[in-house]
Amino acid sequence: MTVTELIALLPLMILALGATALLLLARGSVGRSWPLVVGALVALCAALSALLLPPCLMEVGGMYAAGPYARFFIALWSLATAATLISSSAYLTRRQLPSGEYTALLLFAAAGMGLLSSAVSLSGIFLALEAFTLVFYVLIAFNKDCPLGAEAGLKYLVPGGVAAGLLAFGMALLYAASGSLQLPAATAALLSGAPMQSVALAGMALLLAAFAFKLSLAPFHFWTPDVYQGAPAPVTGLLASGSKGAVIAALLTLTATLPAAPAIFEPVLITLALLSMVVGTLCALAQSNVKRMLAYSSVVHMGFVLTGLLCWNHTGRTAALFYLVGYSVITLGIFAVITSFSADKEPQQLSDYRGLARRQPLRALALTVLLLALAGLPPTVGFMGKLAIFSAALSAGYPLLAIIGILVSVVSIYFYLQPVIQMYMPSSSSAEAVEGHAGEYTVIALCLVLTLAFGLFPGPLLELIARLTP
Amino acid sequence: MASLLFYLLAATALLATLLCITRRSPVHAVIFLINAFFALALMFYLLGAPLIAAWEVIVYAGAIMVLFLFVIMTLDLSPDSQRPALSRGQWAPVLLLFLLLLVSAGLILTFDPASQASVPLFYASPRSFGAALFDRYGLAVEIVSFQLLFAAVGAYYLGRRRKARQAEESS
Repeated sequence: MTVTELIALLPLMILALGATALLLLARGSVGRSWPLVVGALVALCAALSALLLPPCLMEVGGMYAAGPYARFFIALWSLATAATLISSSAYLTRRQLPSGEYTALLLFAAAGMGLLSSAVSLSGIFLALEAFTLVFYVLIAFNKDCPLGAEAGLKYLVPGGVAAGLLAFGMALLYAASGSLQLPAATAALLSGAPMQSVALAGMALLLAAFAFKLSLAPFHFWTPDVYQGAPAPVTGLLASGSKGAVIAALLTLTATLPAAPAIFEPVLITLALLSMVVGTLCALAQSNVKRMLAYSSVVHMGFVLTGLLCWNHTGRTAALFYLVGYSVITLGIFAVITSFSADKEPQQLSDYRGLARRQPLRALALTVLLLALAGLPPTVGFMGKLAIFSAALSAGYPLLAIIGILVSVVSIYFYLQPVIQMYMPSSSSAEAVEGHAGEYTVIALCLVLTLAFGLFPGPLLELIARLTP
Repeated sequence: MASLLFYLLAATALLATLLCITRRSPVHAVIFLINAFFALALMFYLLGAPLIAAWEVIVYAGAIMVLFLFVIMTLDLSPDSQRPALSRGQWAPVLLLFLLLLVSAGLILTFDPASQASVPLFYASPRSFGAALFDRYGLAVEIVSFQLLFAAVGAYYLGRRRKARQAEESS
């Protein structure tokens, strides 16, 4: 490790060292919110240093990139973490949860997600993925008074362990076939004509299965609804946006090293995308629990993103990343609203939302707009993202995927409207309004503004992403 | 000779792992897993990596498996689920695997095919291995150590009882 390499890793070091420092300083601080504020500031510093400091190296240790693509994602996940930290202050205080440990774990999760997004070697992917998965096991089960939380933690742990095993095995096979863990070299063994191509293909199949587990693509999605339901609402927001997004970023780097999809994998990927869209939508239709509905909706959205990646060209990858950014902003906003609605119990059943619009009109309106954005209605970023993905799929010659995607989006309006209808129904219940906090309002407002801004003026963001995308 | 030994050891490792995942008694499963680790250690030695072979025995067969056994012991299984195993059907595979390992170890020591293996030096000598680990793979070591730190913190947090925390609060 040289000094230049350390400087290239500065944003990630700020996150990891900040997490460690908070662990030392704020251990066991229950009911105080200063660790959260300090943590959010640390994450903001990391994001600023990622955006402002010009990278002095393109690669560190042959494992992680430090170029613009990596920097963009480090900044994105740092900001997402900062938003999560700011919005969870009241949630933690109400439940008497230690904010020091929570902040430290979240900051380290951000570092792990940043690392995964910048990985350019198989070993880098494995290490980074395990780094933040381990932290999420704890964060999901963070509320020890809630038995559902412990169940969710276990249900994330077991598929996570299986996925880690598949990932390691797949990487071993790829290494055996190519003799390298470095990315362009490792995947070169997949090209037709390479010696030991069949071994490399088997390795890639295992790798894809592991990624599908992490992205909860159907049919690897069974852990998702239980985990979303049991995890604390702010953690679920980051789990849905950051942890899946980081895996997408790594998958994109992986696919960009190949000129075209290996012939065997094309039908597999198409099936994964189609199944995710259809199964996710059908399951979401039947839910009466909002968090479970959002879990199935995330399955659908990951199907959309996979469609973008499947195009296997620059347009498709740009569309997938644009969609990912938009989805992350919307999801963070939705879970911030759910967090701010949470009294002693999180509102999860549809009936919990009845009449909320009268008691909390502003946040109900925000949730309505965000849910409609998730459904893909204009003028939100959800619409622009879907437009980009479907037009990329059409021009790359996948009309079936685009048509199914559009049909699924139309159907999905039904289940996204359910909580909205409930909120605007008159209610006889005398439940008192849950006061929102300044931090929660800030995050919700920010997500809402970004959702609309990226929807109305997608140009700059699309251009930026198109320039970053490999 | 080397390739014959390799296939012998590979078969042993596979057989032991298969037996490990099909046993009903966890203690038996652990014994078979240790068997598989020994076979792997001999394979590493055969490939010219004596250092990793030694670690395989010390860390995996020694430390981790002993930990497994302790955990199984502390789980306090009911008496009928751990009957004494004395039937021939249960002894035979252990004996077979043990003999296989013994024969391969004897063959390796007699013929020493490892001395002809041409692998990079850093697999073999502790000094160059250490240098490679902390220089070339220094970043990976750092990431893993951070990861272990936070895993330990998380395990400590989740394992601590709620009551203890409340007492801490009130004090």
